[in-house]
Amino acid sequence: MNDTGRDTDRAAEAGEVARLISYILILLASAGLFVAATKIPTSRFERLGPGAFPEIVFGGIVLVALIATVDALRKIPRGAYGRFTAQTAAWVRKRYLVFITLGAMTAYLLAIPIAGFPIASLVFLFTLQVILMPRRPRSIAIAAVVAVVFSFGLNWLFAEVFTVFLPRGVL
Amino acid sequence: MDDFLLGAAQIFTFTTLAYMLAGSVAGIVAAAIPGFTVTMAIVLTLPLTFTMEPLQGIAVMLSVYVGGYTGGLISAALLGIPGTPSSVATTFDAFPMARNGEPGRALSIGVWASFFGTVISTVVLIFAAPPLALFAVRLGPWEYFSLIVFALTIVASLVGDSVIRGLLAGLIGLALSTVGTDPIMGRSRFDFGIETLEPGLPFLVVLIGIFAISQLVSEVEDAGNVRSGKALVTGAIDFQTWKVMREVLMRPVNLIRSSMVGVLIGALPGAGGSIANLVAYDQAKRASKTPEAFGTGEPDGIVASEAGNSATAGGGLIPLIGLGIPGSAVDAILMASLMVHGISVGPRLIMDHADLVYGMFIAMVVSSLMMLVVAVCSMRLFLRVTEVPKWLIVPVVMTCCVVGTFALNNRVTDLYLLIFIGIAGYALRALGYSLAPLVLGVILGPIAETNLRRALMTDGDPTLFLTRPVSLIFLLAALVSIVWAIRSHLKKNKTSERSTNASAS
Repeated sequence: MNDTGRDTDRAAEAGEVARLISYILILLASAGLFVAATKIPTSRFERLGPGAFPEIVFGGIVLVALIATVDALRKIPRGAYGRFTAQTAAWVRKRYLVFITLGAMTAYLLAIPIAGFPIASLVFLFTLQVILMPRRPRSIAIAAVVAVVFSFGLNWLFAEVFTVFLPRGVL
Repeated sequence: MDDFLLGAAQIFTFTTLAYMLAGSVAGIVAAAIPGFTVTMAIVLTLPLTFTMEPLQGIAVMLSVYVGGYTGGLISAALLGIPGTPSSVATTFDAFPMARNGEPGRALSIGVWASFFGTVISTVVLIFAAPPLALFAVRLGPWEYFSLIVFALTIVASLVGDSVIRGLLAGLIGLALSTVGTDPIMGRSRFDFGIETLEPGLPFLVVLIGIFAISQLVSEVEDAGNVRSGKALVTGAIDFQTWKVMREVLMRPVNLIRSSMVGVLIGALPGAGGSIANLVAYDQAKRASKTPEAFGTGEPDGIVASEAGNSATAGGGLIPLIGLGIPGSAVDAILMASLMVHGISVGPRLIMDHADLVYGMFIAMVVSSLMMLVVAVCSMRLFLRVTEVPKWLIVPVVMTCCVVGTFALNNRVTDLYLLIFIGIAGYALRALGYSLAPLVLGVILGPIAETNLRRALMTDGDPTLFLTRPVSLIFLLAALVSIVWAIRSHLKKNKTSERSTNASAS
């Protein structure tokens, strides 16, 4: 097997380990919620209480997640766990723009109630575009125009035409 | 006949037609923006129709309705984000087709399928409104629950690569639907003291977070590709109007089956376009000779989804006209607009105001024609989206999603929910969970729970689910559907094993 083939295999293994972790997390969460559902008081007016449907659903999740966990444990070779951290780090490095984008979006949404929709959007749109683009004077100019149109322009459109007022902020 | 002509005379006036044209454009544009639904577009139109004649007002709203079902297709095909819940299944094949360099064909197939779907549903509406309405209203909670059980088996054909992860995703969807006050007694569940969660997770926020944010974020996975300034979709911007019309018409069985699915589901109160597109897609996939091609840009998938969701427009009018029961939120608004004009909607509507009812039928056909004309003329404009580079479109569509989410309830806390669900959606996507079953679970969960509990409240005997004939038919259909899914999955595994063996040797 050549190096690229081995790399792909190792990445796939790391993916399986990540999935195993997700099954276990889902299993634990749904087991906890199942117990919480049994504690919801029942009503004397009906045969099934408010907790019955959640019990069925969370019970189902526990069952399926258990099968998935056992299946994954059986499939994953022993060495995969040791390589998992390194593989995950490589995966994250390759997709660094995804994390920057999600981070920018989180910051943007947290800033909206403080700075108001138009200003927060202007900053978010311009910054994220500049981060993602091949930086040339022309594209930076386009980004600036787009940022103004979709922040202040959108705010104006909603307020004037649809009478929906986007958050103004406290600043 | 007199009433028919009277209705037609009211529709074919210059002002009515001009208003309807504006309605079509508004519907298409509104639904193309993720987070804006057909319902929201119609709510915004309602106050504008107060000053119009009753039929004129309702014709405008119908054109927004019909246009809206098509608009969802645009973002589904070009961005892979369903513009409305009713175009979830459209993303499965229209988006891969657009990605494979045929964005024009993908849009064109969708537009034609929508057009034929609406026309077929109107024809059915004209003939079947009274008998179907009587049938639909006789169904009790037992039948509804069994119907939802049947609808849930669709998960089997949406699971993607892994059955177990698909099942988990479907169950997680059902679990998400149990957050908030319970639908019968109003007792709060799983809100952990967070105020936003008390009324339950807003469905549209979940949809935008799961589909739109995770899709947009995955567009920037390959840094080299984004930085080179590449566009989202590349390929021929050729709409091929007539060629595609023939292509769509060459699939008469699929077209008619999907439209009938749409009509039937539309006629059931509480269901609607958001379920119809998935059921129609599932049926088309099962009936196809090449089910493995679905999800890779198969024209049949687009036809099924779009014909299915557009046909619910006609289907939804069946209980409204026949019995005065609105089948969906949109139908309730249509009913409200008639009541504003002092027209009571009920079984006597067709007797007292026959011209109005026939006018509505004519308006449906006219608005679907208008939608077609508007779509064909403006598609070139929409296809310009394909030339926009990723670095521009990703942040802009994200801002649109934020506006859509906020405008739903005017709540800032929904925005926090959006990013939380978006990150969770991306994580699930990266781990290889298919997201469609999750959305199906969120849609069907509350309907299933309400009807299950209502059935057992009405009569404590659980065997009624099996002894009531219609309920039994749905349950048997569910069983057949599961057996069929297992069989085709085993068959698929066998073929893929054989092909791996063949390539290894």
